Amino acid sequence: MAGEHALAHPTPRQYVQIAVLLAFMTVIEVALYYLEQSTDAFTGPMAAPLLILLAVMKFVIVVGWFMHLRFEKSLVSKFFTTGFVAAMVLYAAVLFALGAVALT
Amino acid sequence: MSDVAHADGQHDVHEGTGIDNRKLGMWVFLSSEFMFFGALISNYMLFKGRDYSAFFPRGVPVILPRDLYDIPFTSVSSFVLLMSSLTMVLAHDALASGDQNRTRIWLAATGMLGSVFIGGQVFEFTEFIQQGMTISSNPAASAFFMLTGFHGAHVFLGILMLLSLYGISRRQGGLTQAQGLNVELVGLYWHFVDIIWIVIFTIVYLIR
Repeated sequence: MAGEHALAHPTPRQYVQIAVLLAFMTVIEVALYYLEQSTDAFTGPMAAPLLILLAVMKFVIVVGWFMHLRFEKSLVSKFFTTGFVAAMVLYAAVLFALGAVALT
Repeated sequence: MSDVAHADGQHDVHEGTGIDNRKLGMWVFLSSEFMFFGALISNYMLFKGRDYSAFFPRGVPVILPRDLYDIPFTSVSSFVLLMSSLTMVLAHDALASGDQNRTRIWLAATGMLGSVFIGGQVFEFTEFIQQGMTISSNPAASAFFMLTGFHGAHVFLGILMLLSLYGISRRQGGLTQAQGLNVELVGLYWHFVDIIWIVIFTIVYLIR
């Protein structure tokens, strides 16, 4: 496995910093949920896209740094991303076709 | 394919990719799991917002999962699982630096945090059932229990793997470099379970 990684892995201190960032993002998510409940004109429609954006950011951080995907060979990324994209495309098509989600 | 023999008699088997086959296999397995959880999440999204009142006698309330969610409680559970990813990566880091004691401590911490998460899920399910929503109440409830139940089963399997690693380390007085790859593989699985929960927490619990 030596020589496989072009970049240095984070230090324990950096891992803790990443975890603090993830926890902070979770707090923002929960705050957005309650803001949405308040039926505010701005936060109401904006809450769902912001929640999805935060989830995507958390997803990327965990995969990239905790799973070390950004330090792996590109072949690993290709395998992993292919499964993710295939699932997203398939189920997005199913949900659109069955009317569970709409663009408007 | 090439076999790389080490002084300790261990063999690392590689394909031409230069990546250990077991590691590549785990990444491919996790990639396929997107299809599995994608189906369960899509199933929930299909059924969560529908009106089932026509299928029940007049006056019988239809209890949907979103009517019973306890967001503060689930937020704490999510935080616990997120922190278990930190302890898992610290276990991997400790083993890489040859610190067997710290490896065991972080493996045990990860297993304990996972157990707390599972305990929370059992509590949540019990609460929902006591309030009248079971897996057969309506399609939305079925989809909810299937999705979160299968995720919980994945967490439980991860805990068993962590306990195995902990037990092997205790019995042998530490993990060898060859066994170190097992820690990495279990770590990949554990982080994957975490990212699936990140998606479930947002789509199922937070977005109306």
